[in-house]
Order: sequence, then structure tokens, then C-alpha cells
Amino acid sequence: MTFSRKCSDAMKNQNVITRNGKLAGQNRIRLLGLSYVAFFGLIGLQLTRLTVFEPEEGEANRIARQAERIPRPDIVDRNGVVLATDVSVASLFADPRKILDIEEAVELITTTLPDVDAADLRRKFLQPGRAFVWIKRQVSPEERDAVYNLGIPGVAYVNERKRVYPQGRLSSHTVGYVDVDTKGIAGIEKYLDDAGAIYTASLAEPGKPISAPAQLSMDVRVQHALVDELQQAIIKFKAAAGGGIVMDIETGEIVALASLPDFNPNAESKNFGKDQQNRMLSGVYELGSVVKAVTFAMAFDYGVINMNSKYDARFPLVIGSARINDFHAQRRVLSVPEIFTNSSNIGTAKMALDVGLEHHKEFLGRVGLLDKLVTEVPETARPLLPKRWGKLVSATAAFGHGFAVQPLQGLSVVAGILNDGKMVPPTFMQRSKDEADVLGKQIVKPAVSKNMRELFRLNATEGSASKADVIGYRVGGKTGTAEKVVRGRYSKDHRLASFIGAFPMDKPRYAILVMLDEPKPLPETYGFATSGWNAVPTAGKIIARIAPMLGIESVLTDDDRAKLEKQRKAKKS
Amino acid sequence: MLKIANFTLVIVTLVTASVLYSLEHVTRGHERAISKAKAELVDNAEAIKLLKAEWSSLTRPERIQKLAVQTLAMQNIAPDQFVTEAELPERLKALAPPEKPTGQGTIDDLLKKMQ
Repeated sequence: MTFSRKCSDAMKNQNVITRNGKLAGQNRIRLLGLSYVAFFGLIGLQLTRLTVFEPEEGEANRIARQAERIPRPDIVDRNGVVLATDVSVASLFADPRKILDIEEAVELITTTLPDVDAADLRRKFLQPGRAFVWIKRQVSPEERDAVYNLGIPGVAYVNERKRVYPQGRLSSHTVGYVDVDTKGIAGIEKYLDDAGAIYTASLAEPGKPISAPAQLSMDVRVQHALVDELQQAIIKFKAAAGGGIVMDIETGEIVALASLPDFNPNAESKNFGKDQQNRMLSGVYELGSVVKAVTFAMAFDYGVINMNSKYDARFPLVIGSARINDFHAQRRVLSVPEIFTNSSNIGTAKMALDVGLEHHKEFLGRVGLLDKLVTEVPETARPLLPKRWGKLVSATAAFGHGFAVQPLQGLSVVAGILNDGKMVPPTFMQRSKDEADVLGKQIVKPAVSKNMRELFRLNATEGSASKADVIGYRVGGKTGTAEKVVRGRYSKDHRLASFIGAFPMDKPRYAILVMLDEPKPLPETYGFATSGWNAVPTAGKIIARIAPMLGIESVLTDDDRAKLEKQRKAKKS
Repeated sequence: MLKIANFTLVIVTLVTASVLYSLEHVTRGHERAISKAKAELVDNAEAIKLLKAEWSSLTRPERIQKLAVQTLAMQNIAPDQFVTEAELPERLKALAPPEKPTGQGTIDDLLKKMQ
């Protein structure tokens, strides 16, 4: 009895039956089972998530993508010709520890790449413990394949990005260049990184490492014609330097801009000298008589003169102790067109005095000549103006003395005067006519523009710019020969010859500037070194080449045809 | 009964496993093909860029001019060589009509031979 009692006690202890008749351990087992199901369920879920569904973008990935730089856009000209692009170039390297026979490897590599120095390479390969040696950086695809196909163990290549300028010198000043880290440091390249960063970003395709090209207003064909003719002129007239601009008057687009000497943006070391700076933007020059065009427009606009006005140019103009004289002194009373074609300093100075000091300053401010001209290309210079304005300053500034501007600024003002008085700020990027209309600013009345066109055309048909009058293209222009300041004095032997013109004059479409720095007199120019003998014929040659490219229709009289026929016959014989 | 059920379940498992495996295999293959094609795309885009740059460099006006002067007897276009559409018939009349080629090697000759 005691046994059975003990037994039943033990039973009671082991299988404690709860009040509702279930075993006490059952809940725990169930819990365990549930955990199992949950555990494997989770694994199953995760498996389905990883295998069946698209992988999610991880945090690390996203940050990496954000950090990825916006790709540098290509730069193309207005017709899509590549001016700057990124190419992937291979750089060859070796791990000397993996090379089995160093002597053989060196020999094989140097026979494939003749410009690699064998001794130097051998020395580097034999350095103990060295694990990385550049064989040659930035090789062509052919060289890369040739070396790779040698099958030397331990020799491999990595791809690097490199900015190249296929047009070389042609695009040098406008496009600029980048440094080794492909950061723009000059020209449009700098603009893409700095002021135009928003523009650059707008070119990029969101989420993709590609970017639309930045399209410039430049036309490489026109650019080449400009550079080619300038180069020939510099050689012919033994000039120190030269420059030229072709600009679309209606849209302000700069179709070509050259400054010689230029540079090759593909050069390995980019420490270009001061001589190679962009004279058209970062240099300021006294453009001389070219500025008279501005004075004339001003006098017309204030109603001080009309086409029939006359000025006495018999005697030098005396202001205080200074005497203003004419280069081609006529010693008679000149009409307004005569003052323009003879480029009379006396007449122009008198005009400015009639306009008055305050109005003169106001007008220069209106056309923007008191401020720095800002374009996309960052290297620009502020105009140099007299600090204090007086009667003499106003009179001399009227014909361009003591008044230096960057050539592009001068051209854009003249372009504005000829474009029905509407000045459009110049640009290096492509611009439509509609955009230009919004940006344009009326600087003089359209009637003034009409008079100025007449004067410009007259100057090319019978004035100092006659050598630029290309048959058929109705050129008009103003010449200027300024004496350069050498050691603080105006020098008679150092001249700056310039020409600003436009064509076709009945409805000016393109403005052109040609500048030659210190052209020398030649026997064939009868010892003259003034603009009419060097800058003007150069401009003529340029216009003859570019007008057909720019789609300007020629208008010929029977006389013109006969002249062309004669020229052709003369060439043949 | 339970045995048959278990057996079919095992078979089903095996079949689905093999199907899944082969599917996975095919997918991997496609993925490889895609990434290969993508890499090729990048390579080709790179090659196109390089060729474009080369083309731009080879068609430099400076170079073309040099070649033209060397090999062609051509001159700059004169203004009177441009003709408007309206003038065209007059100008064509003024020019001698093109000679009709005859004899061996012409297209007419070839056509006759073919017949």
C-alpha cells in the first residue's frame, strides 16, 4: 500500500495534471514548435525576397551614386564637330614580382614601345619588393593590344579618362583646357565648371553617366578661314600678333574668334605664356579711329548732327595746351560723310564737344563701354578709361585716344549700332533669334543705324576700307590705326591696325573685326603700315572665304561680273 | 495512403527543385549575357567616342586645306559662281550639253551585253 501510494505520489509529481486535464509541459513544446515555424518561415521569406524579387538599392549604393560626378559634357561646334571630348585611354603597368624573366620582359616591351627607356624600366623592375611600375601612361589602343598580346605575366593595363581636343589649335582660346584632374581652368571648359555649372548639370541625363554635348556658336570652318588668313597676314606684315572675331549681329553669337599666337590645348604641360593670351577678350587696346563709329552714332542719336552737317577741319583743334590734328589733313570744311571717310580727328572731336561731356559719358555707359563685358569665357578685361573727364578727354576719347577696350566689346557695340540700334550681348554658346530678341537692348534709334550703315558702306566703297570691299558681298567698315604706348609714350613706329566691319551692308548679318599688332611697312604697301594697307585687305580675304560658308548671297552688277572675269583671266595667264 | 502522398510530395519536390535549378541556370545565363552586352555597349560607346574624336581630328580644316592644295587644282569659290534657282535654267543653257558617252565600257554598252 505504501509502495502504491509512493508511486502515485511520484506520478503526481512527474505528470502534473492541470486543472483542465492537460499535461503541464505541452505549452512549452508548442512554443518551441512555433519558434521553429517562425524561424524557418523567416528564412523562407528572406529567400523568396532575395531570389524572386528585384534587389533593392542599398544605402551604400545610393550614396556612391550620389557621389559620382556629373559627367563632363563634350564640346561641339554649331555643326556638331567635336571640339573637346573624354576618351578612355589605357595605361600600362606591371607587377615585377610576377614577371618570370625580367630581362626578356624588358626587351619585349621596349621593342613594342620604342619610346620606353629600357635601362630605366629594367632598374624599376629590379627594385626589390616593388609591386607596381608604370610602363607607359596613356597609350593608344594599338599599343595597348600589342603589349597585352605579348602575354607577359604581371603586365596589365587600366583605363583612364583623358580630355582631348581633336581640333587642336583651332579651338584653343574659346574652348580653353582642363588640368590633370579634368577641372576646367580656361575658356568654356572653365565656364562648364564654374559660372555655367547649372547649364552643365542640365545637359546630363538624370541617373545615367552620360551627358548631352555643350554646343558652341563657333563654326570651325569659319574659324579656320579666320586663323589661316590672320596667320598669313602676320607673316606677310611681320606683325607681332593678330586677332579676329566674326560675330552674328542678330543673335550675338560669336562664330569665330582667333588670337594669334595661339596654343595647342593637347600639350602635356599647359604653362602657356602671356603672349598666348586671348587678346580679343583679356587684352584691352586703344582701337583708335574705329571708336569714331561710336562717336558718330552718339552725335546722330542726340540729334547734334545729320548727314548734311559740316565741320571746319582747316585748323588743328586747340584745347588748353593740346592740339588735335588730322592724320590725313584735308585743311577744309568737311561734311559728315567726309569726316568719316577721311577719319578726321578734328571733326570727330568737335562732334563730341557739341554732344557735351555729360551726354558723352551717358552714351558710353548706355552702350556698356564703362563696364566689363561678361561672356561665358572667363578671361575678360575691364575697359581702361580716363579717370577724370574733361573737355580734352572727351575730345580725344571721341577718336579713340586714351580709351582702351577689349576688342570683342568694341565689336559688339558697333554690331549693335548697325543692327537697327539693337545691341545683343555676345555669346559663345548657341542662341536662337527669339532668345536674342529678348536679350537685345536698344542703344540708338533705328534711323541712326540707317545713317551709320550708309557711312560704313561709303567708307568701303571710296574710303579707307576699300580694300575690304569684296565684290558681291557689300562690305562696310571703319579702319583704325592707333599708336601704341611704348614706355609711357605714344610711339610712331609701334602701331595697332584694326578694322571693324560688317556685311552685307543692306542688312548687316555678320560683324567682323581684324586686328594686327605692330604690322611693318612693306615695299608693296608703299611704305605705309596703316590699317588700310594690312588689316583691311586681310579682312577682305577673310570675308571672301567666309561669306559663302555663312550663306550670304552675293549681289553682282554687270560691272562686278566683268571685274571677276578679268581677275580670273589674270590668274590663268 | 500516407505513403503514396509522401511519395508524390517527394517527387513533386524533386521535380520543382530541378525545374527551379534549371530556371536559375537559364536566368544566370541571361544575366551573364546582359552584363556582357552592357559591357560591350560601354566599349562600343567608348570606341565611337574615340572614332568621332579621330574623325574630327582627321577632318581638321587645316589638314584638309593642306591636302587640297597638294592634290587638287581647286580655287576658292568666286561670288559669280553662285547661281539662284531662278537663274539656273539660263546658266545651264549657256553651258555645253554634256556629251553622251559612246562605245565600250558605257552603261548602254553594258546593258546591251547583258541582253
